[in-house]
Amino acid sequence: MSYNVHFGINVDVPMTVENKSKSLLPFLSSPKLLPNESEAEFQSGLQSLLSELDNPSPLAVALVSQLNESLWWIKRHTVDKELLLHEAMARLLSKAGSYTETYDNRKVSEALERYLDGSADTDEAEWIDDILAESKLTLSDLRVRAFKDAAKHIKMVDDLIHRQHQTMRHLQRSIDAIDYKSRLIKRMDLELAALESRQSLKGVLSLDDEPSQEPCKSLQCT
Amino acid sequence: MTMNHRRSLANRYNALKSTGPRSAAGKRASSQNSRKHGLNSAPDFESSLEYRALVELIAEEGFSGFACADIASSLLNYRRVMDAYYDTYTSPEPVDEFLLDANVKASNPIFSELLSPSGSEPQDVREMAAFFASMQRQERRKGGPVSRRTTDSHKLIRYHRNGIARLSRAVRQG
Repeated sequence: MSYNVHFGINVDVPMTVENKSKSLLPFLSSPKLLPNESEAEFQSGLQSLLSELDNPSPLAVALVSQLNESLWWIKRHTVDKELLLHEAMARLLSKAGSYTETYDNRKVSEALERYLDGSADTDEAEWIDDILAESKLTLSDLRVRAFKDAAKHIKMVDDLIHRQHQTMRHLQRSIDAIDYKSRLIKRMDLELAALESRQSLKGVLSLDDEPSQEPCKSLQCT
Repeated sequence: MTMNHRRSLANRYNALKSTGPRSAAGKRASSQNSRKHGLNSAPDFESSLEYRALVELIAEEGFSGFACADIASSLLNYRRVMDAYYDTYTSPEPVDEFLLDANVKASNPIFSELLSPSGSEPQDVREMAAFFASMQRQERRKGGPVSRRTTDSHKLIRYHRNGIARLSRAVRQG
């Protein structure tokens, strides 16, 4: 069954008709994607998380949506670590030529990206090789130095990833609490029903007993 | 150095002589200059329609009235933090590539040319070069776009931590 639990996000989970119209998500701002990110991937992640819910109540669905967003942020920040390293490498290369000429940082960055991908043309590859030779560095030296330079920012990204992990832990605990609460309510309902049925059974029995007591009374009377 | 860069440089140099806004409107506008994300302001969720709708829906799950209010406001607060986080991440302070790549020493003749209409003195040119170099140092310290967005996002960690802790507490105690 596919239905809309969010703005533009279709989710496949077994929920009752009542719950569909009572989702909390339309009242919360939706997680936004970057222009180069796949919405289909985001949705499939959300769907797989929702399918694992034992009791998909509106609040649980809202919390799972936040959980999916945290996972998405972890992916983004992991990519950022590589980008930081690349940025630092490009900056080092730009600085390397500053004694003779000033290199355009963006131009160096783009050329380096293609050079590392192996998609650079011969001119570009030669240019990067020349800058490396000028600065007396190999590619692995450059990577090591870039890592040293970007260490502060990489540590920050690690903190951000750690924060998202902690967020996920909090959300997981909250979902468990809701699940436990709903199970507790169900159990109490069942116990109440059992008590009621026992009570009514007693009532029936006492009604059944009444005629049997009557002869006694009659005996006493006699 | 293009004409735009020259103008921007001259504007920045002249702005150093400014004594700040004088009119009330100018002061009001400049008081918001350093506003980054607005997460320090106290939000008023209780009067919003979303809040009331959330409270009603959460109440149907068997939470008490107080717990419903707490969960609804903490959910809205968490979304507010995450929206600010996204905005900070996607719009870091732009990199001034001209300033980042420019060669200060080679720019000295341009500084004298820029200052010539006002009768440039060697001292003025030196001051302008020093100002330009300090701006460049600041710009380089901030790094590229990825470093900037990382630094800016990192500043929101405590809001994020408080937001999720509040939400989790509200749900578990509800």
